[in-house]
Amino acid sequence: MAADTEPPDVVCTGLAKSFGATEVLRPFGLGFAAGQTTALVGPSGCGKSTLLRLIAGLEAPGAGAVTIGGAPVAETLARAGLSVAFQDPSLLPWRSVRGNIELALGLARRPVVARDIDQLIRLVGLEGFAETRPAALSGGMRQRAAIARALVTQPRLLLLDEPFGAVDELTRQQLAQDLPRIWEARGTTTILVTHSVAEAVMLSDRIIVLSARPAEMVEDIAVDLPRPREPGLARSLEYIDLTDRVFAALSRGMAARDTPLAAQ
Amino acid sequence: MTVAARRAPWRGGTALGLIAFVLVWESVARSLSGAYVLAAPSEVVLYLVGNAGLMARALAVTLGNALAGFVLGNLAAVFLAGVAVIWPRAQGVVTGLALLVFCLPLVATGPILRVFFGPGNGPQIVLAALAVYYTTLIPLLVGLRAAPDSWFDLVRSYGRGRVAALVHVRAMACLPYLFAGLQIAAPAAFLGAMVGEFTGGERGLGVLTIRAMRALDVPMTWALASVATAVAITAYLALGAIARRVLRDEPPVILAVPTVGDRRRFGTLRDIASVTALALAAWWVALAVAGLSPFFAKGPGDVFDALVLAGDAAQTRGALFAALGQTAVFLVPGYLAGLAAGAGLAALLVLVPAVAGVVMPLAIALRSVPIVTTAPLIVLLLGRGAAGTVVLVAVMVFFPTLIACLHGLAQAPGQAMDVLKSYAAGPLARLVRVRIPAMLPAFFAAARMNVPAAVLAVTVVEWLATGNGIGSLMAVSASLSDYDMLWSAVVVVAVLSALGYGAVGWVEVRVLRIYAPEQLA
Repeated sequence: MAADTEPPDVVCTGLAKSFGATEVLRPFGLGFAAGQTTALVGPSGCGKSTLLRLIAGLEAPGAGAVTIGGAPVAETLARAGLSVAFQDPSLLPWRSVRGNIELALGLARRPVVARDIDQLIRLVGLEGFAETRPAALSGGMRQRAAIARALVTQPRLLLLDEPFGAVDELTRQQLAQDLPRIWEARGTTTILVTHSVAEAVMLSDRIIVLSARPAEMVEDIAVDLPRPREPGLARSLEYIDLTDRVFAALSRGMAARDTPLAAQ
Repeated sequence: MTVAARRAPWRGGTALGLIAFVLVWESVARSLSGAYVLAAPSEVVLYLVGNAGLMARALAVTLGNALAGFVLGNLAAVFLAGVAVIWPRAQGVVTGLALLVFCLPLVATGPILRVFFGPGNGPQIVLAALAVYYTTLIPLLVGLRAAPDSWFDLVRSYGRGRVAALVHVRAMACLPYLFAGLQIAAPAAFLGAMVGEFTGGERGLGVLTIRAMRALDVPMTWALASVATAVAITAYLALGAIARRVLRDEPPVILAVPTVGDRRRFGTLRDIASVTALALAAWWVALAVAGLSPFFAKGPGDVFDALVLAGDAAQTRGALFAALGQTAVFLVPGYLAGLAAGAGLAALLVLVPAVAGVVMPLAIALRSVPIVTTAPLIVLLLGRGAAGTVVLVAVMVFFPTLIACLHGLAQAPGQAMDVLKSYAAGPLARLVRVRIPAMLPAFFAAARMNVPAAVLAVTVVEWLATGNGIGSLMAVSASLSDYDMLWSAVVVVAVLSALGYGAVGWVEVRVLRIYAPEQLA
């Protein structure tokens, strides 16, 4: 891996979390290299989103700590240095698409530059809908607006929680080509939670496969596919090889826990 | 029937309903002419035209008082809701105290305020404020929390805290609920001002109402009730129109705070203890600060003396509980009948949607009518006996219950309805298996909020008309200057109303735990 020589940007040390008696995350250590895109893949309900929320500082860890650039998460939060695109687009219904994107700038105390916003709206394919309110958008369009909102503050750390769940297949392919270009140009460290193996392989430089709850790392897989990654890549041997590895790791992660699915 | 379809009033239906209503009224009045009970719409119009100056002056006074009370009461509600949001632990105590104050019987607080303020508009304004703050506070509290967690996560993910969440999320999210509350508050303020005028105002529609009733002036009584109704409906519709202009959506139907279910018993007990202690302290401090004559102003100790320690305590208690017993005989059947009729008609309307198109707009309009101000009509129609009182309580409870239940029935999950349809289940089966369980949260919310409303209705009728029960006891005590009895009655009625509210909540939690556990989360 190219980033091996540099100290990682985001570091989780001994991170653990329980909700009441339910252990969600076993003590966990992991580093994320600056400018890299990492996918967290695991079965539904395994604790991927919890891990993401811990990294975002939205949840206090039961044990351990998260640092970003060597400082506690709280400092990055205070400087509005990270953005989260939530599973639920979480657009404020009384604001238009543009208004929702501007909200992020307002919260981050950054000036509003109309040209940048227009550019992002175009990037996520929402031209002509800038003044539309969320209620009039489809689920996929709302998710794209939420992605634009997450990008507008130019965060050093971008956290995406299943951001393409409702996005249609063609748009997803387009975004899978456009988004990494932006992350690369800005040097954004990106952590992506997904249960789609294809999405993980197409978007990321590295895939962390997590077990069923309580989550533990099953395998850490480097994705050395060339960029830009065209949809045709899915027919290549390397791609098929990689997806096989991820599926195998996922199965091991399921079998390791006494889940109803694993018992089948 | 989707919510949108139900909300959009079918104008043709509304007009048709109104015309039918006026025609039936006119013909019934004509057939009863000579019985001195019902004035026809034509007589009402003639009276209004003939006495336009008098009515306009009285209306201006009452509107002024209602408006002042509306503003003050709503400001108090916004302030209290703000306290509860900034300091979430205080919410139980804030809502508890607010409920207790809301349960104070206006019939008795009216005379007390009259002595306190002397002649003038003070009591009218305070009673109008008291009538509105609770119905605004409760939706506002719901509205300030009516945002998914992820919106607050979004604010936090940019390193911002409670203030930013209040400004960017809560303040906007609560607006539809605030308007829903204001819509209910507008007619309530009018009602409060009129009850204030009943207690000895010099001018206003309430004063004329008392005069008309004493003189058995049938056209005047009906004209006054019609004016009150028209004002209430206008205020309700005007606020709805403003809300639509501001929000671009219809305000939601909100009747009560969702019950807080997972609070530990200890927390609730602690809240009750804090509310009691704070209420007693506030009462004591208010009297000490006001420096009123102890002959009139009774503190917590005086009431305890009067009910427990004094030589005639047993007599006082006896009179009080005898009156309460008389009241309960009217209150409980009226309350239950109103609930049953409201829920029953709502269910019926779902089975016959064509009728709903005509009835719904009328019901929404009539919900806003200050029923208590029509008490004289019920007395005219049904006499001063039990029937009139029971009917009035039932009518008071009926409209809010009907609206809430219709709203609840429309909440039935579409997919569950589709599953039943796919098994060829008929409308009745769908009603029983899906819609009624979906209606229960709204039904119980209405049932809770209607406890103080029913108490208000029964005490006003007893005071103005029947001369029975606790309402009459309070009125007589006030006129005889038996302030020990008056203050004792206020305390007992307020506490019993609050307990009644709590008892309905207790049943609610048990029923919803089975049918709608998500409401308790």
